[in-house]
Amino acid sequence: MNSPLLSALMAALPQFVSGTWLTVQLVALSLLLGLVLATLVAVLRLSHLTPVSWAARGYIHVFRSTPLLVQIFLIYYGLGQFDAVRQSVLWPLLREPYWCAIIAFTLNTGAYTAEIMRGGIEAVPHGQVEAARACGMNGALLFRRIILPQAFRQALPAYGNEIILMLQGSALASIITLMELTGVAKAIAARTFQPIEVFCLAGAVYLGMSFVITRGVHLAERRLNPARK
Amino acid sequence: MGPDEFRGPMTQSPAVAVDDQANTAILVRDLHKRFGETEVLKGVSLTARDGDVISLIGSSGSGKSTLLRCINLLETPDEGQVWVNGELIRMGRDRRGQAVPADRRQVDRIRQRLGMVFQGFNLWTHMTVLENVIEAPVHVLGVPRPEAVDRAKALLDKVGLSQRQDYYPSQLSGGQQQRAAIARMMAMQPRVMLFDEPTSALDPELVGEVLRVIRQLADEGATMLIVTHEMAFARDVSSHVLFLHQGRVEEEGTPDEVFGNPRSERCRQFLARRA
Repeated sequence: MNSPLLSALMAALPQFVSGTWLTVQLVALSLLLGLVLATLVAVLRLSHLTPVSWAARGYIHVFRSTPLLVQIFLIYYGLGQFDAVRQSVLWPLLREPYWCAIIAFTLNTGAYTAEIMRGGIEAVPHGQVEAARACGMNGALLFRRIILPQAFRQALPAYGNEIILMLQGSALASIITLMELTGVAKAIAARTFQPIEVFCLAGAVYLGMSFVITRGVHLAERRLNPARK
Repeated sequence: MGPDEFRGPMTQSPAVAVDDQANTAILVRDLHKRFGETEVLKGVSLTARDGDVISLIGSSGSGKSTLLRCINLLETPDEGQVWVNGELIRMGRDRRGQAVPADRRQVDRIRQRLGMVFQGFNLWTHMTVLENVIEAPVHVLGVPRPEAVDRAKALLDKVGLSQRQDYYPSQLSGGQQQRAAIARMMAMQPRVMLFDEPTSALDPELVGEVLRVIRQLADEGATMLIVTHEMAFARDVSSHVLFLHQGRVEEEGTPDEVFGNPRSERCRQFLARRA
């Protein structure tokens, strides 16, 4: 291997590390917020109150039917056009590309995950819900103790997929100036004129993270379903 | 509603029944239930006193399971009244005119006093047997966990599952699952136990172990309503038997009366087919 490239990559290593860390932050925070949002939306979606259910459906439909990149642009470039937004208490957040990316990712993954959760909730055997009702359980308790734990288990394989899609999707944050993994790779490639090597390295890091996620989800599945090994 | 619906030893005239409920566990009066166009219950009444073991028999579609499920409001009766330990379950109407419970919290409270065992066991599959048994006592009744665990272990011992407390439902046979479900039901210390075809989903060789447990509970004085197709068991264990046909109580009485000398032709035919 020629040493100028190696030394260039070595010099860029700290940047790669901080880029990877930013990617991890963006993905982890968005997934966490998105999961909370999705659980809420899935419950509203299944509500018998028609307006509430339709509002949830509308949100899911819009965010699943438009490109993530358009959603990022709308939030990052679009919102700043409105005086009301610029004067609101949220502006310190909304003018930061970091938070714009988090918001866009959260809303996006929230919509997909809500559908995954809905599937999980609907797959909980009706008889088990009846058995809980027959003991006097209802509402939040029934949800927390019987429905959600099983819905999560049902949804886990599909959700693992969503985590990986979110990881790959986070590369789009580089477009709004965030120096996450792809952003760092782009900058180094432009500086060193070695796009193949640099993007191969970035790709290898994504590959490694995906592998860790896949194994983690698989382990979680086994742990949560001890009877079905 | 015909006058012949309040007859026999178990159904009394409403005035008497309502006034004298000192030891009445369940009182059902003139219950109607429709599923769409089909009227599944066409005015059914029954009385269960403390310690009664009442078997509900009849062909499928006769309404016996629906009747049982109306008592703990898993199905909402369209008309009629259900009293549990002298407490009337208050009903109202929603905007579309459908019958709904007037007070959901009353229903939850009453359900705590009514244990139910299902045909399909319905154990919570994400919990071990022990966790299934302590779940409702801990989270619904607020029993301290150690106490609930002690009681659960005693109950599992009683139904012969003390070796299986840490198994998941999917690791058990049908008979074991149903015995676990009975332990779960008993953990709530219900005043009345409702059994909805508890052995119908079991392989023939597993039926006996479940019936033995139910019989033991009956011998200990539990109040029970049992929907069953096990005629020999019903005859043996019951204090009263109701034969339902097309949503009505066609025949009722002691096991000897109903099985030995049925008055109704339909009941006679039903029992002849089962024999």
